[in-house]
Amino acid sequence: MMRDNESSPFSHERDAELSTALSAALDAGDHTAFTARVLAGLESARAPSWDTELSRWARVGVAAALVVVIAGYLMSQSARPAAAEPPTVEEAIVAPPVADAFIVAAFLNR
Amino acid sequence: MPEDDPVTQQNSTPARNSGVTDAALADRAAGGDRDAFGQLVTRYAPQARRVARAILGDPTDADDAAQDAFLSALVKLEQYDPTRPFGPWLMRIVANAATDRRRRRKVRQAEPLEPRHPSGGELPDAGAERRELGEALRAALALLPERRRAAVVLYDVEGYSHAEIAKILGVPEGTARSDVFHARRALRATLTAWKEQP
Repeated sequence: MMRDNESSPFSHERDAELSTALSAALDAGDHTAFTARVLAGLESARAPSWDTELSRWARVGVAAALVVVIAGYLMSQSARPAAAEPPTVEEAIVAPPVADAFIVAAFLNR
Repeated sequence: MPEDDPVTQQNSTPARNSGVTDAALADRAAGGDRDAFGQLVTRYAPQARRVARAILGDPTDADDAAQDAFLSALVKLEQYDPTRPFGPWLMRIVANAATDRRRRRKVRQAEPLEPRHPSGGELPDAGAERRELGEALRAALALLPERRRAAVVLYDVEGYSHAEIAKILGVPEGTARSDVFHARRALRATLTAWKEQP
């Protein structure tokens, strides 16, 4: 049988009997233990997880690796000897190429 | 909202137990005050667990979801508007946590229990009667769609208004009203049938 407060979805009246019965049916009890559990979970939630920690260190690692690569590049550039300058016209005429010296020696030995 | 609405009372006056409002506790908790957060959990644990259980059925899953919701709420406390009631804000997080858990894990449903009634000539004691009524109501609740379960518990057990339930569940107010109506009618039928048993 329908009650007055169930006859219309526009009713604001609450069903006290149903409320009490439902509350008892759903109540899990021992809320103190549950609260303690939530607070314990709070502590572990505050500690960073391994993947969070890993990603944090990964960022630091990538930055450090970049610094090392750049520093290494700069150091190698500064340590490299200057490229040999091309001979002047005079040097090229006075000093014959090595191949020419071999040809002259071979001719004299015949 | 009805004048005797417990939600209105608990949000517009200093909260029960400590005389500190929910908004003040939320502000302190957001600033890292663990005790303040603990007080909020103490205040809302029964409500959060009931709502989560209404959605999930299984009490263990419900507690897991309620715990997730409290920790999620702590992270989101910066977003909480202290001029508005804390309960609906938190219950929305609880309902979302329960729904997410249900979707993510395809949570095992509580076995729909056939309503059991006293049989034979023995009169069961009051504790046994309450347990049987509880089982009958949980079974009837489990047969309802998820949103209707949450809606009727939020309305008839936790005292939220239709408008607040609409915000909590993310539906139009008319839908919330309809959900409460249909769920209540089904549960009332179970309750009446249980009472009429010899």
